[in-house]
Amino acid sequence: MNKRPTILLVDDEPAITANLAPFLERAGFAVVTAVAGRTALRRIVEAAPDLVVLDVLMPEMDGREVLRRLRQDGNWTPVILLTQVGEAAERAMALEEGADDYLNKPFDPHELVARLRAVLRRTRPGERPLATAEQLTCGPLRLDRRSRRAWLADKELLLTPKAVGLLEYLMTHPDELVTRERLLDAVWGWDYPAGTRTVDTRIAELRRTLHDDPTQPRYIETQPGQGYQFIGAVEAGR
Amino acid sequence: MNRVWLVATLPVGAALVIAALLSSGVLADPVVYARVDLSLLAVFAGAGLAGGAGLALAISSRVNRTIQRRVAQAQAVQAADRRRFLGRLDHELKNPLTAIRVGLANLAEAPPAAQQEALNSVTLQATRLSRLIADLRKLTELETRPLEHTPVDMADLLNEVVAVGQERTGEPRPIILTLPQVPWPLPPVAGDRDLLFLAIHNLLDNALKFTQVHDKVEVRAFEDGPNVVIEVADSGPGIPVNDLPYVWGELYRGQATHSVPGNGLGLALVRAIAVRHGGQTAVRSRPGHGTVVTLRLPLDAHRPREE
Repeated sequence: MNKRPTILLVDDEPAITANLAPFLERAGFAVVTAVAGRTALRRIVEAAPDLVVLDVLMPEMDGREVLRRLRQDGNWTPVILLTQVGEAAERAMALEEGADDYLNKPFDPHELVARLRAVLRRTRPGERPLATAEQLTCGPLRLDRRSRRAWLADKELLLTPKAVGLLEYLMTHPDELVTRERLLDAVWGWDYPAGTRTVDTRIAELRRTLHDDPTQPRYIETQPGQGYQFIGAVEAGR
Repeated sequence: MNRVWLVATLPVGAALVIAALLSSGVLADPVVYARVDLSLLAVFAGAGLAGGAGLALAISSRVNRTIQRRVAQAQAVQAADRRRFLGRLDHELKNPLTAIRVGLANLAEAPPAAQQEALNSVTLQATRLSRLIADLRKLTELETRPLEHTPVDMADLLNEVVAVGQERTGEPRPIILTLPQVPWPLPPVAGDRDLLFLAIHNLLDNALKFTQVHDKVEVRAFEDGPNVVIEVADSGPGIPVNDLPYVWGELYRGQATHSVPGNGLGLALVRAIAVRHGGQTAVRSRPGHGTVVTLRLPLDAHRPREE
């Protein structure tokens, strides 16, 4: 990348944008800010940012509405939503919104930078991201995100809702090394005591159901001491 | 009260009028000798009716007053709870904020060598505040969050909680786990495994936090009718009698616990999780002897709020 990627930062709290903008600039980004939903939509057109960081809770037009309008206009600029702790649990609505990633407030700014880099690495400019696909497939594996159901070949998989959420997050972030902490934050929305074990238990459930051998995985690979990575080639289904 | 007298006297008056009419013969009557008896009967019936109506009204107004009193009491309890909660919140926010302000003053004025220390302190306090906010949010979320409803193998879960508890302590702490084997093992509980893990983990974490290395900690589980009962017991300092009613309250921290890290939301979360599973919590404690906390979970709950 020869040019500094431009980030549009949208938050109605000036204390946050004022501190976050210089932090992101030091991390190698060019930063544009907006304090309200309507201004944000205008800035996206004017500044054509590479990525938008969007606060959900804003007066008048909230972050979800901004994102909905953006996607309705066929604009696929990647978006990271800043949500409230716990909301991840209700992210079945994520699909309608088409956010590329989430971060719970209050967050560690270093984590935001890590998210920004990961999303930018994944994004093909102008191309519709996996995050907005209704169905995801990887070989014989098919996930219907709207109905929260999954099939292997033509056999429906019996999965707990949490396991479906986990599979969805991994499949929409293929080839990305996802830490257990990140999975907890994104899928569970909570930090749990000994949370890494909680993640491992569900990964084991997923692997059993997918008949995925951890020593020779087709789908989920363990990166020892780091996290998990979805290694299969994921495609957006119809 | 006026209404009661009106209702009580009206039927008596009506009965007297009817009786007078009957005995005077104004009304055509086929059986003459029965007039006096009939009039008497009418008086008695009227009096009975009046008494009954009066009594009913008196009772209903009394019941009303009782209900009003109960509502007022509940409101007073709620107001007191709210005041206590705000007081504790104030306390929980005040300390880290003071530390942050002092740390920032140090940062601005101290020589560069001392700045790192101030920075570490500010970071630590900010993290503490983040955790407090996250836990408060969890509590409110727990009331509406969709629960998973799958059969949870309690023996497996308890083994895991105990293993995590043993890892958590710096030095080896024997934790005795007692699970029934005969005539049958623990049946599964229908619920959200992650939340049940969190609840039992919090109980064990408390037991380990508030006891010394030489103290004993036991985790026991057994079937009791339609429930599975999980007990976490310790031979620690116990909880003062005056503190006992409040231990489940949000942000509550006992007098003796201020040297122990925590924000007073652990048990509140346990209770909220129990309630969402249709279960109950209880605590028994004797100062100087130890504490037993009980979590009672229905085997097959008809959760009113679940799909």
